[in-house]
Amino acid sequence: MSSLQAKPERSRLQRALRQMRLDWVLYLLLAPTLAYFIVFRVLPIWNMRLAVYNFSGRRAWTWAGSKYFDLVFSTPLLFDILRNTLIISFMKYVLLFPFFALFAILLSQMQHRRLRKLTQVVSYLPHFLSWVVIAGIWISFLARDGAVNQIGTMMGLAPVDYMTSKAHIRWVLLLSEAWRSLGWDSIIYFTTIIAISPSLHEAAEIDGASRLQVVRYIVLPALVTPMITMFILNLGFFLNAGFDQVLNFTNNAVNSVIEILDTYIYAIGINQGQYSLATAVGVIKGFVGVALVLVTHFISKRVTGEGVW
Amino acid sequence: MLKAKTRKLLTPGQILLSLAMVLFLLTILIPLLNILARSISDPQQSPLMKGLEVLPRGFSTLNYRIIFGHKVIVPSILNSLKITLIGTLLNIALTTTAAYVLIHRKLVMRKAIMGFLIVMMLFDPGLVPEYLVVRDLGLIGSHASIILVTAVNVYYLIIMMRYFEAIPGEMYEAARIDGAGHLRTLTSIVFPLAKAGIATITMFYAVARWNEYFKASIYLTQQSKTTLQVVLRQFVVLSDTVNLIGSQNLAEYNEFARVDYAALKAATIVVAIIPILLLYPFVLRYYTADIMAGGVKG
Repeated sequence: MSSLQAKPERSRLQRALRQMRLDWVLYLLLAPTLAYFIVFRVLPIWNMRLAVYNFSGRRAWTWAGSKYFDLVFSTPLLFDILRNTLIISFMKYVLLFPFFALFAILLSQMQHRRLRKLTQVVSYLPHFLSWVVIAGIWISFLARDGAVNQIGTMMGLAPVDYMTSKAHIRWVLLLSEAWRSLGWDSIIYFTTIIAISPSLHEAAEIDGASRLQVVRYIVLPALVTPMITMFILNLGFFLNAGFDQVLNFTNNAVNSVIEILDTYIYAIGINQGQYSLATAVGVIKGFVGVALVLVTHFISKRVTGEGVW
Repeated sequence: MLKAKTRKLLTPGQILLSLAMVLFLLTILIPLLNILARSISDPQQSPLMKGLEVLPRGFSTLNYRIIFGHKVIVPSILNSLKITLIGTLLNIALTTTAAYVLIHRKLVMRKAIMGFLIVMMLFDPGLVPEYLVVRDLGLIGSHASIILVTAVNVYYLIIMMRYFEAIPGEMYEAARIDGAGHLRTLTSIVFPLAKAGIATITMFYAVARWNEYFKASIYLTQQSKTTLQVVLRQFVVLSDTVNLIGSQNLAEYNEFARVDYAALKAATIVVAIIPILLLYPFVLRYYTADIMAGGVKG
């Protein structure tokens, strides 16, 4: 104790070391999680250097320089794949996007409580189904004897094989995405709406505002901030476009119009075993992806005060 | 009072809104019920069924008898259950302990560790680099690969930290004064007080485990190790009936000639959905309780 009094001004390092000694149990508790990230995330990042090596066995990598990057950029296919990725992302993150807020508004305006609750229970469910299951359901839903063609035939339309139609498949992706996430992804907007102070509604009612006026002047302004945040966040996912979904909805007839970066990496990497080439595509996608997330994070902080994390 | 309420519900706007919502619900319910109806219909009548039919034609348990007697599907269900159970336990063990550690503001290097985890969340090294690590560890073909490779989700970890931070600081303080160590605090303060939060994250992890198919399809190379979602994909999405449900496998059943593949696929989908339906009430109870109970006035 006397030495403590003699030297009250201990260095930051000493204080830190002392605190660390006190907290050794905490570091022990954290160790398995850190070990997981080091083995299954940091080591793969280290493996990304394969993009500049030739792979010929576990310990046999030979220097390849920019060979695989040159190959990637000289592949005419890459342009199509990039275009598909951007088109599908645009459809999901720009066209479909406003409907989540619209769904939340409509839900909030339902007066029949039990019907509203039923709508919530049913519409959140598809979010928890795997894309394998959803693809299975939709293949049957869109089949020649499926519900959609049955309704089409009733209206005098010729049956269409939607799953193998190049003209329709992107819309199938969009609609199945809506089917899966319209309910769940509207939750963020719905919580915003129910957080609006009831006194605002009462004031509007006293002033004789109509329901539409309430939506226009009270609900919509409250939704602007979460909508901007979500929109900016989505920009960070633009190169993803939904790998799990596309992989399960694709087939030979339509693959050329919905092949995206991730399914391409899968095809050349795992199916064809071209590890270096697949890694090179992944490196490009990874860095552009991180750049997009960082840019959107800082834009988001600027605009709404909320970032990606 | 009652009259005023009824009048409110019967405005043209409300009727139109309700109709639109019911129509939307039908687009979800009809395909699901149609799948269920097909799967339990008489196999001689099920091929004639149209997509809008939600009632079974006749009744038969044939499809389910085939599934629960099938030498690929039955092990795949057991494998899925095993991976879901052990995997979720690992997820929760790591996520709760890490969240508990990381809410200690005084922890030296806390900021650096959080930064590291966020980088890990944002940066996806990609398929092949991860595959090579799993292969170098000799995990290809074993369930350990799939269980370990998705051991912690940073996003859920951050949500878990929010739940733990919501516990009043005095509770931690009281535990410390009573001389409780970290492990004791974790088990007798944090777990009981953050029960709802832990339950929510457990549900999300369990659903993700059960639904996992892609990594399972790459890492579990032998058919005996495969999972239900992988079998489902092979059978329903890729329509690979020859390898999986070929007539050789079906020859054990006297009724095999009667099998309608579409109905058998439907039954496999139903089996894959059932665990989700069992978990779903808990998800609603813990995660969306406020949203469901609340609602907008006026």
